[in-house]
Amino acid sequence: MNSFQYVTAGSPEEAISLVGKNGRYLAGGIDLLGMMKDYIVTPDVLVNVKDVKMAQPEGNAIRLNGQAYELGALVTVAEIAAHEELKKALPGLVEAASEVGSPQIRNVASLAGNLLQHSRCWYYRQPDIVCLKRGGSTCYGQEGENKYLSLFSGCACISPIVSNLATVFAALNAQVNVREDAQTSLYSIHKFYQEAWENPAAHNSLKPQNFILNVSVPTTRARSAYRQQSEKREFDWALVSCAAAGNVTGGRITDARVALGAVAPVPYVVEEANQFLEGKELTAANAAKAADIILRDAKPLAHNGYKVPLAHALIRRALLALNS
Amino acid sequence: MSGWPDPSAVLGKPTERIDGPVKVTGQAKYTYDVQPDGWLYGMILRSKWPAAKVTKIDLSKALAMPGVKAAVLAGGEQRQVSYYGQELAAVAATTKQACLDALRAIEVEADPLPFVVKEDDAMKPDAPSVFAGASNVKPLKSSEKGQVDQAFATAAAIAEGELRTPTQLHQPLETHGAVVAIQSGQMTAWSSTQGISSVQEGFAQALQLPQSNIRVICEYMGGGFGAKFGPGAHGLLAAQLARMAGAPVKVMLTRLEQGLAVGNRPSSIQKFKIAADSSGKLLSADITNHGSPGISGGGQSAGGGSGANIALPYVYKYPNARIQQFSIAMNTGASSAFRAPGHPPASYGTESMMDELAVKMGMDPLEFRLLNSANPLHQREFKVGGERFGWAEKYKKPGSSPGPIKTGIGCACGNWGGGGKGTKAEVQINPDGTVEVRCGTQDLGTGSRTMVAMVAAEALGLTPQQITVKIGDTNLPPSGGSGGSSTTASVAPAIWNACENALAALQQQTGTPDARGENWAAACKKLVVTPLTAQGEWQPGLSNSGTGGVNFAEVEVDTDTGYIRLKKIVAVHDCGLIVNPLATTSQINGGIIFGIGYALYEERVMDHQTGLLLSTNFDTYKISNIADMPDIEVILLDMPERGVIGIGEPAVIPSAGAIANAVANAIGVRVHSLPITPAKVLAALGKVPNMTKV
Repeated sequence: MNSFQYVTAGSPEEAISLVGKNGRYLAGGIDLLGMMKDYIVTPDVLVNVKDVKMAQPEGNAIRLNGQAYELGALVTVAEIAAHEELKKALPGLVEAASEVGSPQIRNVASLAGNLLQHSRCWYYRQPDIVCLKRGGSTCYGQEGENKYLSLFSGCACISPIVSNLATVFAALNAQVNVREDAQTSLYSIHKFYQEAWENPAAHNSLKPQNFILNVSVPTTRARSAYRQQSEKREFDWALVSCAAAGNVTGGRITDARVALGAVAPVPYVVEEANQFLEGKELTAANAAKAADIILRDAKPLAHNGYKVPLAHALIRRALLALNS
Repeated sequence: MSGWPDPSAVLGKPTERIDGPVKVTGQAKYTYDVQPDGWLYGMILRSKWPAAKVTKIDLSKALAMPGVKAAVLAGGEQRQVSYYGQELAAVAATTKQACLDALRAIEVEADPLPFVVKEDDAMKPDAPSVFAGASNVKPLKSSEKGQVDQAFATAAAIAEGELRTPTQLHQPLETHGAVVAIQSGQMTAWSSTQGISSVQEGFAQALQLPQSNIRVICEYMGGGFGAKFGPGAHGLLAAQLARMAGAPVKVMLTRLEQGLAVGNRPSSIQKFKIAADSSGKLLSADITNHGSPGISGGGQSAGGGSGANIALPYVYKYPNARIQQFSIAMNTGASSAFRAPGHPPASYGTESMMDELAVKMGMDPLEFRLLNSANPLHQREFKVGGERFGWAEKYKKPGSSPGPIKTGIGCACGNWGGGGKGTKAEVQINPDGTVEVRCGTQDLGTGSRTMVAMVAAEALGLTPQQITVKIGDTNLPPSGGSGGSSTTASVAPAIWNACENALAALQQQTGTPDARGENWAAACKKLVVTPLTAQGEWQPGLSNSGTGGVNFAEVEVDTDTGYIRLKKIVAVHDCGLIVNPLATTSQINGGIIFGIGYALYEERVMDHQTGLLLSTNFDTYKISNIADMPDIEVILLDMPERGVIGIGEPAVIPSAGAIANAVANAIGVRVHSLPITPAKVLAALGKVPNMTKV
């Protein structure tokens, strides 16, 4: 990797001032250090944020605040996966966290890092290929080996988002609390990733200086579920993932939200499907209709067409899992 | 009779590895761990082009960088490179980072040339020629017997199909690598190798050094599967760097480099047409295989058997048969031997078609095999395994299991030669009763060191723990490479012979009629101060060749997601006298896990636009991991009368075919290529729009 400065920040403000224009925040480093070793990203400064003191909730805390759980940016994926209250209140979130990487990775990976991780597209990650996302002129995925790539995209880059937590947060309608210069802003998951939908070079909508403080997950949806399918059972990226959330009374669903992962540069949510489900009985037929709506605009390429039936199956399974 | 004692005290008894404790406590020193005084890191600059005419490689900036002690070219400045990853230059420096910085400071200019990295593209008439002026498709051997086409006309049933296997990458847990020290014309190389002697020969030839001035050491190593026989380009570059720097240099390859230039298993595209007569006997076969060894078969680390040809016709006999094979050149790294060269793809293709034909005949696939197998070992193994597996109770017609999650079963077989060859050994008996056995073989992690101790203990009436084993050093009496499943069959007889000679000498010298067991200490004491040494060598009669092996697999396939869960594998193998049932079972478990990777996960993926490798690491070049492993049951047929036979390669052969057949039996349609992924299962089931051929 290139040489870089290493500094430690004590507060979000200090972190923002230290990171500069070409710096990166370092928490778990799971994704960042690998990319630096492959010269995919070349920050000139790494700002260690593990000692950053934040206002409530603290960076490494999970707390219930009224109608929402607040998860600090430094909470590890393992802590989410093992959290007893979350298992009851937000089971989909816990399921999504427990499918991340391996136990060793979950022990170190932070919540914020999971949301900010870059695409796993094998063109983007190939050290000797400069693809569109890396600043080149061609998305090789379009005509090439697109088995793992997107069914939907708003731009020429078809590298999909692979963050499990992003997918489930989209279904749970979570908000990301971001420190921007002197103020803090709440980003919906849609806003948090929208830039990646439109801009081939982007992985999310944040600027390098923006600092994630915490994620607020409403508990207003009493039921949630997360399903993913990989080629291997453990320690493998999802081919497709699906999170569903809502309230179920008398077999009917309200506040339904469904999100897909690994099929678009952003967590893929179709509001029309959510609206369709509103008040409907949670039957296999209705789940299948919702899946039809979500997948209607899919644009399969030469090798990723299987993601359509796979996503269809996972949408049905995630939705029907809300029955129990 | 085989010449081994019957009954035996040690052989055939499950024996824990004598080097287990030093391995699990980290005391065992692998090539990676070797750090001679003043050693430097070495790294290799590789071609970023799949094909190019290199016009300039300027090392001067790299050489001027802090910490950089040497930089060398890997084959001239003006040259053509023919695959992504081909070696261009190498650097040695005091830190890893200094090496990385130096590699980036080397200026390379090149004119890119047309290239081809996909078999289907390379076979097209207008494809770029990998070798100027020559066709990319080269005929290999072909054969024809009987009246193939006439026989098809009279057949009761014909099965046709094309089956494909991917290029498989060598990914041992310890990557290829070497540490080389040269001082006053004497060279010591620590090499992660399957053949210390062949590495020594390779270095001597390449460096123009007398073989006697070269010592190669490989005390412990983390796996080798056919591509770790010679010094390798990395070893030769380490030697050049060590010469220039005047210091030892360590070059250990990265995971990415493992995928580029150390050898691989050639791909295969097997077109089958086979037929049976009305009694169910195989009648005729017309089989054509196109496989790619990349830029060529063989390379500096390759063993034998590195070509694109596979073992066709496989196992089963056809009275009428036409076999044609072709090698396809591509701009990808050279192939090498790979655990049972030519066999896993041939077993997968053949056994897939055997099931297809059985289904067409309306026959049970196991009965169909019993009817058509001429090998008594296979007959016995199919019967023993089928009974343990519960084949008769479990078998259902393809696709007939109810519900979206379908179960299926399948079986397949393989065979292998093996056999022993010249090995020498030496035994030293000390007056204090300690024993050292010396042999220039090497332990790939298979348990060879423990095997040596067991054979010596048997001969001397001692326990394996009482034997000190010295292996993995060319200063020891020579043995051959550990390949072709020949190690145990080569080494065990030599150890036995040396120990018999030592025991006879001890008994004669000390006047002890039988020095073994409880008489040992007293006899040795009579040696007073001078240790006794004796030599021995491989003798015929103690080892053999020729093994079978079958696998039965049970799978569960989720037809909504395409995910395959392996439930059970029963493996039945023979390898003559089972020296150590624990190590043999472990080898077979490992072979099955290896075969599962070939069946379900592993595939080298090249990009046709850039000519570069995409499956660069373990998240995209997927290997078996523990969560996906089924319940594995190994049944060993112990045949001590046959002598010692190797098991390393036979263990890997039948797994992919058995799993592929189980998947086809579960879902009622066949996926026609490995690896069998969820994407291909969904496509085979007709669930994927615009994707029918899988």
